[in-house]
Amino acid sequence: MATQTQTQNESETLFMKYVSPADCVFYKNPQGFLALTLRGENYGRVALTRALPLSMPDRYICITDMESNELGILESIADFPADIRVMMEEELKIRYYCPEITEILSVKEKMGFYYFDVKIKSFKKTVAVKDISRNIKQLGESRIMLTDADGNRYLIPDLAKVNKKSRQQIEPYLY
Amino acid sequence: MFLLNLTPDKAFFPREVLCLLEKEGLRTEHFLFGTEGDMDNEGRFCSNWLAFDEKGLYVAFGSAQIGRKKGNKRLETAYSLTSLQSIPFTEIEELKTEKYVSTGRLIAVQDGEDVAVTRFSVGCLAAMDDFCRCFNEYKKKNDISAFGKLAKDRLYCPKCGTPFPKGQKVCPACSGEKSIVRRLFQFFGGYKRQVAALILFMLVSTGVTLVTPQISTRTLFDNVLNAGNTASAETIFKSLVYVVLAIFGIRFLSMIFSAANQYLLGSIMPRVIYDIKVKIFAAMQRLSVGFYSSKQTGSLMERVTRDANNIYWFFIDGLPYVIVSIITIVGVLGFMFAMSWQLTLIVLLMVPILWGCLLLGDKIFTRLHHRQWMYNAKLSSMVSDNINGQRIIKAFSKEDRELERFKGVSSGLLQSEMKLSNTEATLFPSIYAAASILTTVVLVAGSLLVLRGEMTLGSLLSFTVYLSMLQSPIEFFSWVSNWWARCVDSARRVFEIVDTEPEIVEKEAPAKLEDFRGDIEISELEFEYEPARPVIKRLNLRVKAGEMLGVVGKTGTGKTTIANLIARLYDAKAGTVKIDGVDVKDLPLKELRANIGLVSQDIYLFIGTIADNIRYANPGATMEQVIAAAKAASAHDFIMKLPDAYETRVGAGGQDLSGGERQRVSIARTIIQNPKILILDEATAAMDTATERNIQESLSGLKSGRTTISIAHRLSTLRDADMLAVIEDGQVTEYGSFVDLIRKKGEFYHLYQIQAEALKAVGIGD
Repeated sequence: MATQTQTQNESETLFMKYVSPADCVFYKNPQGFLALTLRGENYGRVALTRALPLSMPDRYICITDMESNELGILESIADFPADIRVMMEEELKIRYYCPEITEILSVKEKMGFYYFDVKIKSFKKTVAVKDISRNIKQLGESRIMLTDADGNRYLIPDLAKVNKKSRQQIEPYLY
Repeated sequence: MFLLNLTPDKAFFPREVLCLLEKEGLRTEHFLFGTEGDMDNEGRFCSNWLAFDEKGLYVAFGSAQIGRKKGNKRLETAYSLTSLQSIPFTEIEELKTEKYVSTGRLIAVQDGEDVAVTRFSVGCLAAMDDFCRCFNEYKKKNDISAFGKLAKDRLYCPKCGTPFPKGQKVCPACSGEKSIVRRLFQFFGGYKRQVAALILFMLVSTGVTLVTPQISTRTLFDNVLNAGNTASAETIFKSLVYVVLAIFGIRFLSMIFSAANQYLLGSIMPRVIYDIKVKIFAAMQRLSVGFYSSKQTGSLMERVTRDANNIYWFFIDGLPYVIVSIITIVGVLGFMFAMSWQLTLIVLLMVPILWGCLLLGDKIFTRLHHRQWMYNAKLSSMVSDNINGQRIIKAFSKEDRELERFKGVSSGLLQSEMKLSNTEATLFPSIYAAASILTTVVLVAGSLLVLRGEMTLGSLLSFTVYLSMLQSPIEFFSWVSNWWARCVDSARRVFEIVDTEPEIVEKEAPAKLEDFRGDIEISELEFEYEPARPVIKRLNLRVKAGEMLGVVGKTGTGKTTIANLIARLYDAKAGTVKIDGVDVKDLPLKELRANIGLVSQDIYLFIGTIADNIRYANPGATMEQVIAAAKAASAHDFIMKLPDAYETRVGAGGQDLSGGERQRVSIARTIIQNPKILILDEATAAMDTATERNIQESLSGLKSGRTTISIAHRLSTLRDADMLAVIEDGQVTEYGSFVDLIRKKGEFYHLYQIQAEALKAVGIGD
């Protein structure tokens, strides 16, 4: 008897059932947040989190309610109609937003702190980085994450796309 | 304007901002609390000022431009306001923060629904969280005296305008270096006389070396080996002998002074480094557990050893050579000038060019060396990872894949090493070629002067000797700045440890506990390891002296944290922990910790014998006591089976004991400590139930008068508990005796059922 229940549990856990787009009705609540009615039950405001935020941002999306209970996993955002997709992408954008550095103007080193003068679109900012070897991370081919001394994160999505001067400024510190 | 009435600690924002807000009709002197963010609701960077008073919440967006007005040294900030929102106080039920990947959001709950207020970078999370808590406290109790004014970290340095990293007392960009250098040199304060003697000797020995070419070359060629010398062969021979003797004399003198130098240096430097290392170690002992868990131990160890060494090597090798080089350059140029101002001029013109080439070369090499170092580090961490994980690699049969990975990283290293040696092959000869051009030019010009009779041959020859003496100091100066930078960097890291204030500080005049009974009272305790992620939320618990309390709960609910807070390894964010009616913050740390025995799951045994480890709390314990404690901890039997028994060396590099064996040694250690309060945090988790039972029996024999808190998952561990508490999500949800909780049919009953059923399934119980 024990073995039968065992295999049944195995099959449930090893083969995940995705939430099918037909069962989901996403909508925007009056306060502007993404909300969901799943299989007829209204869960109100929900959060979407990416299982593979770096390599597959549009697949394997977990839906959780505001108490962090998982409601289901979506296989792919592309399975949804365009207008719903826009809402979901907006929500994901807010959650995963990371300020992007578009240009590095200069890098100065003082007392072990590295001061990066950067431009985030048109906004100029000076970013103070401490322990530089630990706070510049290369995620993938040319994607770089910079963490400043206050814990804020900045992303260079593609080093090949910034101008040569910016590349030269940051290259000595990459791993 | 009511700004004049504002007390300094109520000024949450700069004066200009307050003015702008006043212009919009806000009464800023009524502000109860305020904070700053850095984004608007669309995620664009801007200035964001938040404040509330009893009427409402105010959200202002604007900008802050930092700049220097022409001719003005101080930086000025120009503020402007772009929008201001007010939300009536009564409409907001509570404020909360949400943390996302790199940003966060401030949310107001209105009519039970979440409403977005603003967004911010994750670095502002702690401040925003404090703001929410303050608002919510005020909403509930009308009392925010607990918040006072949280130390406002300066955002930008007033002198140079660069952002101020959190937690720094001094702006690193402007004032750091001078004070570090000053403090470094202060270490030499006790050796003033030796340092003076050292410098004197260096002066003399270098001076002597500088004089040598005058005699060995100039005088020799001009006065003795002179073709036009008309003196007799005997006189010439005598002069030759004198010159040779003089050369030897000088050499000998220089050697003596050099040796004296090294001796003096050798007597100063190790002592200074000893002083520095002791200071670092003492500072590290003062620091609290939180410091150690936040910085990886690897980097800390690196600091203590490598940084102290960096400082040592610079002072013992670099600094003396800097002094010698300076003296050499000055002396050489002086002699050169005295012999021929024309040639000296040529040299002065060409040296900067040489210097420039050296600097450029240095920059290139630093970059290449850095890259090579990077790959080396990657490779060695890969190898160490591989060696440590061999068991897993073999279990999953991934040896081939590991080899491929190794080849990949190695080839990266190969590329960078090849590039480095290729560059060396091209660059070094080029630099030397440049240097030899200088010598050639000097020789040619000098020869012309000699032919014209403006200079003697001896002078020219000694001039070239001086020129060659110039080369190594110049080369040295081109890369010494790097060395110096590394030394200052190491010094900065060292001072950072020395300067860090310990988080747990003993009160000025701690209370004296006459009689340590062990009565524990926890009220309204709140704690978080990271901002905005509370682990303990308003916990209330009471343990009477001499009682045993069992604590159960799922993983991660805060059980170990409670133990840490009772022993004051961390300080709570809010609420109190009282022992015998006295707040633990008011008790002397040593006494407090001596009376609390904490046995946790992770056992650290020091490098030493088993007996030493058991005796750790009381080195004066007799062998009888040690064996009695080991017997009570059911450790005696396995210890006696080891060849060296109680003298077996354990700890890093010593005998490997199994998890259960280490736990038993640790329990024996605590038994010797004989504390009034005993906290067992999963202390018997790695043992079988029979051994656990034996230990429990011994402990209960030793229990009289001892307050025990036993934290466990396995309910069998809590058999002897007088009272039980269930911790869920940072709070005590159930409290009572075993019978009470079973009757309640709550979480405890649920846990009991699961465990009983597990036994039934295997055919036991019923």
